[in-house]
Formats: sequence, C-alpha cells, structure tokens
Amino acid sequence: MVDHASEMTLVALLVVLSAATLLRGSLRFPFTVAIYLPHVWMFVLAFTLAALGLSPWGLGVLAVLCFHALREYFTLADLRIEDRWGMFTAYLTIPFMFYYISIDWYGMFIISVPVWAFLVVPFAVTLGRQDAEGSVLAIGAIDLGLFLLVYCVGHIAYLMYYSVWMAVYLVAAVVLCDLLAYLLESRERPARIGLPLQLLAPIPAVALLGLVLAPWSGITLPHGLSLAALIPLLVAISAHVVTRLEADLGIDRGHIPAGGGGSINSLKSVLYAAPVTFHYLRYVLDDF
Amino acid sequence: MIPWLPQLTVRILIHLLVLRPLLKLAFGVGAEGRENLSGLERFILVANHNSHLDVLLLLCLLTPRQLGRTHPVAAYEYFCKPKALLWLVTYLLQPVWVERGDRRADPLQGMREVLQRGHCLVVFPEGTRGVAGQIVPFKAGVGQLAVEFPDIPIVPACLLGPERSLPKRSVLPVPLWNRVIVGPPQLLQGTRREIAAALEGMIRELAASQAATRHKRGRRRQPVPTIAVLGIDGSGKSPLAEGLATRLSRSARVCLISDEVAFLDGGARLPVQVLLKERLREQVGRRAKTAGTLKSYRIPKLAELLLRDRVVKDIRRLYAPDLIVLDGAPLLNITAWAGLYHEEAFDEELCAAALRVLSGNDSLVAEGHAIYALFPELVTLKRLHLADLELPTATLFLDVDPRVSIQRILTRGQSRQVHETEEKLARLREGYRLVCRVVAADLGAPTRALDGHRSREEVLDTAVLEITGMDMGRQSGEVM
Repeated sequence: MVDHASEMTLVALLVVLSAATLLRGSLRFPFTVAIYLPHVWMFVLAFTLAALGLSPWGLGVLAVLCFHALREYFTLADLRIEDRWGMFTAYLTIPFMFYYISIDWYGMFIISVPVWAFLVVPFAVTLGRQDAEGSVLAIGAIDLGLFLLVYCVGHIAYLMYYSVWMAVYLVAAVVLCDLLAYLLESRERPARIGLPLQLLAPIPAVALLGLVLAPWSGITLPHGLSLAALIPLLVAISAHVVTRLEADLGIDRGHIPAGGGGSINSLKSVLYAAPVTFHYLRYVLDDF
Repeated sequence: MIPWLPQLTVRILIHLLVLRPLLKLAFGVGAEGRENLSGLERFILVANHNSHLDVLLLLCLLTPRQLGRTHPVAAYEYFCKPKALLWLVTYLLQPVWVERGDRRADPLQGMREVLQRGHCLVVFPEGTRGVAGQIVPFKAGVGQLAVEFPDIPIVPACLLGPERSLPKRSVLPVPLWNRVIVGPPQLLQGTRREIAAALEGMIRELAASQAATRHKRGRRRQPVPTIAVLGIDGSGKSPLAEGLATRLSRSARVCLISDEVAFLDGGARLPVQVLLKERLREQVGRRAKTAGTLKSYRIPKLAELLLRDRVVKDIRRLYAPDLIVLDGAPLLNITAWAGLYHEEAFDEELCAAALRVLSGNDSLVAEGHAIYALFPELVTLKRLHLADLELPTATLFLDVDPRVSIQRILTRGQSRQVHETEEKLARLREGYRLVCRVVAADLGAPTRALDGHRSREEVLDTAVLEITGMDMGRQSGEVM
C-alpha cells in the first residue's frame, strides 16, 4: 500500500528524531521541546514499524505510550491505596484494546473502553475497598484517564492500522499546530487576541501538509481542506481542556520532573483531534 | 578502562540488565539528587520504609561499583519462609540479616562488620514498613552506627510512591511513578538519639518539599488574599503599593494592580501576557483622568473601577499568584466616592448597606432600603450582575492631610484632575475613613491607617510590619 520512497521518508525522519532525542541534552532545546520530542519519536517509531509491515510492533509502541501516559496520570491524580484494583483494571484495558485493533475488530474496539472498561472499573474499585468513602471520585478519576489517555490515543492506533499515512497526516498536523502555537506565543499580545491568531495560522499550514501527503494518505482535496479547518480548532480545544486538568493535577509546565506530567503535556493536543479525525475519515471514506 | 569493570559479576549484570529496566518500565524511577550519592566511596543510605519496592528503587540509584559493595539491612523472618525466596534475596541483594525476635544478639553486629570491611549499608530506621505514607519515629540504631563510624557519611533519601505501588499486605504491584529524592551526605555529631531524630527531620523535609506536587481532592484552595492600599490622590499610595509588592515578592509571587499590572517574584518583575480587559481599563482610566467636570468623571471612573475588579478576578483565575496588591480597592473606592455625591445622608449605616449591595451580600439589605432611593445606580448594577465587587482581605489606609497631598500633586507636575481640590479631597478623606471604619467593624476585614506624612521608607516599613502581623487565612500565613 505504501511505496518504497515513503517508507524511506519515515525511516529518515526516525533517524533525525533519534539523533535529536539523543542529543537533546547537549543541544540545549527549550524545556518544552525537550519533553515533547520523545513522544513525537514514539509516534514516528510506531509509524515506521507499521509502514515496514510490522504493524503489531507499531501497535505495541503505541500501547507503551498509552501505558506511560496513564501511569503518569494515575501517579499525579489523587488515587489512593484502596483504588489500586481500579487502576490495575484500567491498565489491563490497554492490551485488550490493542488486541482488538490488531485483529481489526472495529465493533469491539469502539466499545472496549466506553462499555466494558466503564463497567468493570467501578466493580474493581468497589471490590477493593472496605468503606465507600471516595469511591465516586476514584471511579471518575480513573475513567477520565482511561478515556483521554487510552481511548483517544487508541484512535490513532486504529487509524494507523487502517492507513499509516492517514495517521502520519494526523500526528504531523497536530505537531504543526503545536509548533506554530509555540512560535506565536507572545507575552506582548493580549491573551484574547493571541488565541485567534494561534487558531487561524495553522489552517493553511495543515492544508498544505494534507496536499503534500495526499498521494500517500489518499485524502482528497475537499476532505483535506475541511480537516485543515477542523484540526487546529480541536487542538486548541484540547489544549484548553488539558491545560486546566494539568493545573488541577498540580503540573507546573515550567518544571516537570521525570514522571511529573511530561507525557500528558505532550499528548494533550492530539487527544481531541484523534477521535474526531478518525470518525470523520471513517464516515467519508467508503472502504474504511 | 572503566573503573568498575573488574567488579562486574553475574549478580551486577542481572541488576543492570534485568531488574533495572523492568523497574523503570513498571515503576518509572524518578531520581532527584543522584549526584549526592554517585561520588561516595563509603556511605550509609537512610530512607523511609513503606514497601518491599523501597530497597530495589534505592539500589537503582547506585553506580555498578557501589552496587557490588552495598548491603541492605533486612528482617530475616520476612524472607526466610520459602527457601527459594531466601536464596534469591540473599543472592541478589546480599543483605545484612536482622532477626527481630532474638533478644540476646546485638542487631548492629552484622552492620558493623559490613562497615568495617569498607562496604556500604542501606538502612530503614523506621524498622518496619509502617502505615502507608507516614513516617514513624526513627529507631536509634542508625544513630549508634553514626557515633561508632563518625567518618562515614550518612545520605538521607526519601521515597515517594512505593506506598501506593506495592503497599504492605498486598501482593499485586500497580505501576505508578515512584520518586526518590536524595539529600546531601551528612556527617552528624551528637548522641545516637539526636542523630536519629535529625535524620528523621531531614527525610520529613525532603518528603514535604515534594508533597505539594500531587493532586489532592476535597481540599479547596484558599482564595488568593488581596491587600488594598487606599488613600486620597497624592497621598503616595501608588509608590506604597509598589514598594509593598516588591517587599512581599521576596517570599511569594505577587501581582501588583496599579496603573498597570505587574507580576513580581523575588523582588523582580516577570514578563506576562497582557489581558484585553486590562487594556480596556487603561483606556477608560485615561478618559476619567481628563474629565472636565465631576459629572462627566462619574461614569468613566465607575466603569474603570468595575473593570479593575474584573481584572482582579481574571488575574486570580488565569495566573493564580500567591498575593495580590491593589492600588485602591474598587469596592471601597466606589463606596467612598458615593459618599461624596450624597454627603448629607451618608452615614455608617448607609455605608455598610452600600458595601453589602456592591459586594453581592445584600441579603441583609431590605428591598426598599433608603440606599436604593439614594443611588439608583445600585439597582442597575444589580440587574446587570455587576454588583459582586470583592472586599480586600486587608486594607491599608494612607492618611494624609489634603493640603500636603495637593502640594505633592503640584510638585509632580501633572495636570490636576477635576476632583483634586483641597475641599473635595478633604471630603474624600472623610469618606475613606468612614469606609475603613465600617469595613473593620461591620465586615470584619482588617484595616489599618498609616500616617502618610512620614517618609516613604518609614511608611513602607510600617506597612510591611502591619501586613505580616495580620491573620489573613492559612495560605497567606504560609506565604509570609
């Protein structure tokens, strides 16, 4: 499905990112870039493996990414010793969901978290406790992490399983939005004027990206254009939402120690864009 | 050649190639202060104890060379049961066994032998894994070792997370990030109990330094305290507010809302994104300053004060500083100004009613209260949901004679605003005095009057003293 040249592009990108990741100590990247880079690297690694015909391995890489983010979230959220069974069940969801992706069982994948995990987690949480105090908040906190960091990221995995280059397009578009937001972030401009600029500037960039990747991803021009309008908006929304969640979790973006929220911070822009893009493409493409 | 290569044994290789990667994958070891440990030839590593994971996590911090020469102290009765477990633990960790039940034997003997050989120890002075997340008083044994071996540095380390990952009495480890914070090496003097207590204090401190980073439910954050500096024009309240903010910013993140908004931390200004409302407020404020009559002053000034209140709320929501210093307080300014327009009827009772209505606590003010007849604007403000101005946590009133302040305004060389005459300022001063009295008596917020005739430095020193002496809720107490 992908020709030789495109595989080589991904491998070359992987090499460049590996070098940048390895050298990030000596290259003195700004802090936000240094914690962002490993996650882009993980995505590119997964896509490269999938493009080379090693889809299960690519899915494995994304599963590790989910696990990593979920573990970080559980560490930061106020989940107590009594909620351990709930957390354990939540972790178990990851292999199941990725297994359904790997056997291309869409119907089961799409209900794995919203139906099965949703029903099992409360059972596990209440099973492990003597008293009822805090059960509602624990179940809510576990479910939020599961939906955001496993289910949403899982959509990228399914998109990758269907077409590597659609997933590449999605992640590249989100990275592009993040990059532009990072460059446009200004201390001089009033906050409410800065946002529309950050929202509008990525639209032509994402449209161009869609055009460049179109021969491989197979996304036609009209859909490319509507996605170019959609993705920056979703990125802004999810950044807005997750920034608030981060603040509540106590993540200080100026100083993130190891395991202190780096994964959540790096994944935050893709969380809304992934399911929406996935379902958009699934709806408009006949053979999905 | 790599110095630790000769020490490389199968045991070390298992540690480096199997145990550490597995631990990192499942329990992501976040280490802080590793450099406190890496250069040491001999040491006693002391940590809090909550879980069986503790010792494995601590061993992750060691260099391969140190790993071969470090022995954790472990209780024999826990690991003796299945023979295979005893063999595995003995092989991998090479512990110093302590038998708790044996009263006759000296439990420290094994540790002494290890230290005399020039090797290192990992000790959990709590003695047992204890209650999750709590540190129980340290036993004095570690102090005894410090007394006997005064030249071996003791390294305190704090483990956070294992109590949730693998708590006592549970078989199932749950992957969570665990953090190890290593403090600087110590050579301690004193009796054994003093040394044990000192180490306990250090580890508690390390734990407290990290405790704030985790999310806690069920505890609402204390509202950010605001300090308002009141005073008539030319009393020097703006310099006082700025000086106060700079002083207080030495120990807290302070936002100063004066003619412009500034953030201060450590005595220096921080760059921040400008709020759109703040721009608008500046424009309106300029409009008020150039007003020709008191009548045309009224609306822009009211708008400016209302916007200023919104800016305070936005700053609190978006930037969350530790403390806000206000040059003037919208609620108190409006009330004092209101008195100026209806001086004849404005007494303490009306003033309290106005403050209540403007701050949105009007349940005590009856529907047909005289205040609404006197100030129909209040009804409009209420209808527009604008009457929820904030009462400052603390108020400083800089009291200056109007004659002096007029002199100051004239020497400043700016054009005088419409109300800046001696007579009007005297009435305004009375208005502020009345408001401060009512705020302190009826609303229970601390207010202090400062004598503005003294030099700026003196006034600032008194202001800082007054503020630090006030009880403004728990959070501000911690801040200062």
